[in-house]
Amino acid sequence: MKLVALDLRASAAGLFIGQNVSDARGLVTNLELREIDRPFIEQVFADFADWHSNASPIVAVHKAQASWGDLIVDVTGVSHLFGGEERMLETMTGRLEALGITVSGAIGPNIGTAWALVHHSYPQVVQDNVMGALAGLPVAALRLEEAQIEGLRHLGLKRIGQLYGRDRRALQARFGASLLLRLDQALGYVEERLTPRLPLAEHYVERLFAEPIGLIDDVLMTSGDLALQLSNRLEREGLGAQAFHLFLYRVDHKVMTLSVKAARATRDALHIGRLFAHRAERLQGEYDAGFGIDMIRLAAGSITALSEAQIGAFSIDDGAASLDQLHDRMTSRLGSLAVVRNSFANTHIPERAVTLEPVVNPQPKEPLPLLPIAAPRPLRLLPQPEPISVSLAEVPDGPPPNMVWRRVTYRFVKSSGPERIGAEWWLSRSKLKMKGEETKEGAHSDTPERHYREGEAARDYFLAEDDGGRRFWIFRQGLFGAAEAPEWFLHGFFS
Amino acid sequence: MLGTKIHTLETLRQQIAALETNPLLKDAALVSVPAGLLAPPRGSVHEVFADGPRDGGAALGFAFAQARFMQEQNRQAVLFLQLRADAQELGLPYGLGLGGFGLDAERLVYVRPETIAELLWAIEEAIACRAVAAVVADIAHPHKALDFIASRRLSLRAAASGASVLLVRYGREREASAAKYRWRVSPALSQPPPYDANAPGLPRWQVTLEKGSLGGRRKAAPGGEVFLVDWTENGFERVDADGRTGGARRAAAVSGAPSAALGDRLSEAG
Repeated sequence: MKLVALDLRASAAGLFIGQNVSDARGLVTNLELREIDRPFIEQVFADFADWHSNASPIVAVHKAQASWGDLIVDVTGVSHLFGGEERMLETMTGRLEALGITVSGAIGPNIGTAWALVHHSYPQVVQDNVMGALAGLPVAALRLEEAQIEGLRHLGLKRIGQLYGRDRRALQARFGASLLLRLDQALGYVEERLTPRLPLAEHYVERLFAEPIGLIDDVLMTSGDLALQLSNRLEREGLGAQAFHLFLYRVDHKVMTLSVKAARATRDALHIGRLFAHRAERLQGEYDAGFGIDMIRLAAGSITALSEAQIGAFSIDDGAASLDQLHDRMTSRLGSLAVVRNSFANTHIPERAVTLEPVVNPQPKEPLPLLPIAAPRPLRLLPQPEPISVSLAEVPDGPPPNMVWRRVTYRFVKSSGPERIGAEWWLSRSKLKMKGEETKEGAHSDTPERHYREGEAARDYFLAEDDGGRRFWIFRQGLFGAAEAPEWFLHGFFS
Repeated sequence: MLGTKIHTLETLRQQIAALETNPLLKDAALVSVPAGLLAPPRGSVHEVFADGPRDGGAALGFAFAQARFMQEQNRQAVLFLQLRADAQELGLPYGLGLGGFGLDAERLVYVRPETIAELLWAIEEAIACRAVAAVVADIAHPHKALDFIASRRLSLRAAASGASVLLVRYGREREASAAKYRWRVSPALSQPPPYDANAPGLPRWQVTLEKGSLGGRRKAAPGGEVFLVDWTENGFERVDADGRTGGARRAAAVSGAPSAALGDRLSEAG
């Protein structure tokens, strides 16, 4: 076991990262040790990184070297907002130091340079003379592996400057291609990509607060204002969006995200504001402003062209737009699986023939020809067929004379049927059993409770009317004379 | 003098303009679905009571039948609301079985909230939308939140917007409610179709109007007016005491009720 992180007092006592725990204990007898919880630290650091998207939309966490990661912010095109790169670096590191965080920062033309400066130099901004800036730094600043650093040290190559102009082939043969790659990345010859943590939004508006705000009502009021700004911007460009994300930047380095979706592309500020209000109702206990929110950003996603003509005065007002907005509002408050409509599939199995799919953003599906339906279908269907007990039918394949359902007996006076619906054996996962291949799997005696088995046997459906005029849709699964006795279920109600 | 004349003239002009835009007079083929036998005015709250979940088919059928008559040319949407937890107890409306009620199964929206407060919110939100004709809410159990104040609130909202609310309730208990109409629906033995004496026929319901009155008619009996009706593809059909429907069938045809199939076509076109 080794040390991976130290506080100031520990390093003052002469401990260092990478030291064996037993050695450290020998040096400092009252050493307090904690086992590192890497997933937790990664999570916390990721939240911390997200918060920095208030400075620049592109933030990434570089996991390659340090145990908790390095925060990378792409400052291209944003530094002027802070009054130049030096000022930006001062602001960003300064506000972290004010919070009691030990921080080291640098700005460089590429990730490799910045990393080297942060870890092995003082905070500074390097713009042009990268070779000069790096020449004096130790080779470890190139993000190399332990073995490579050791090998270079044996050759007397301690500083990055000593690698300039060396024979590349020899270096590659001795230390592998990764050394050259790291060197090229640091010097900017090879581009290094970073993966932004948050989705990039091209269209967003934001507001900074002089004093942090905390009340959800204030947040929603601001989101309404921002929606107005965003809709103005979208209108200028003739665009509409289907997804909207609200980012709440907390003072204590956390970001809360609220997302809403619309059924059709919109830029109606009132509608967007209302969707967030309904979404916030569903938050309940999840909303926690901590010590306050000092910035709010509203971003649009899934952007499509939405021309003026489409929402012009000459369109037929059939109420479809207001209905879509109603669905949006309900979905944002109740969740997308709570606002659904029927979708039909071409199968005869009643519970598979109809599925409920979200009204907003449904999954695209291939239209299939629907099968004609011969017999009437019930008005209500039970999601799970319920077992009923019947006394034996007069004719083996006929309807039963009565049933017991939910502990009440119903006596049938009329019925029609049967409608036989075959099992879709081609969808069943179990293999077809050949005759004479019966195994001992049929011993179901240890499961006394009857349960409905989907798609195992053909069903015969009957419409049965009891002496009170109630009409039930019941079915028999299995056939008489088979190895297992047929079972009866109630599946639905007719009007 | 001149002022009143101009005023009268203007009023008459507006009346003529209103007559001309009335689809009933303008184009007989584009008539919106006519009022059914039991259809009360739009924009009110109805309670439809069934004695228990076993009668839920009849109660929901009656509610959907009423909802169909609430539909207008540019007010077509019907929503069905049910608490998610009640689905197994009551059953969900089955898309393939809705055809007999003139409702387009692909356009009926199901709302399945978790709590009764969300359900009430959804009803209010839905009737505020001008494209919604009716909201059918299927509520299995009595709830504290669904009290007189809640029903009063819904009544006011419904009256303001013109959309109707049909609350399908279960049990024999009747709570105080501001709903304008209260129906009790129970199934009745159907008349077998002529070709098979042992088969069930058209749905037949015994409908009791426990509260409210239709078209200025006075209440018939203290227990409420009782109708015995069949649901056909033409709409409701009165059944007389002997269980015959012949006269009513002719009456329905004469009154020019388009069939449910025609209603379907209209709803597809609109």
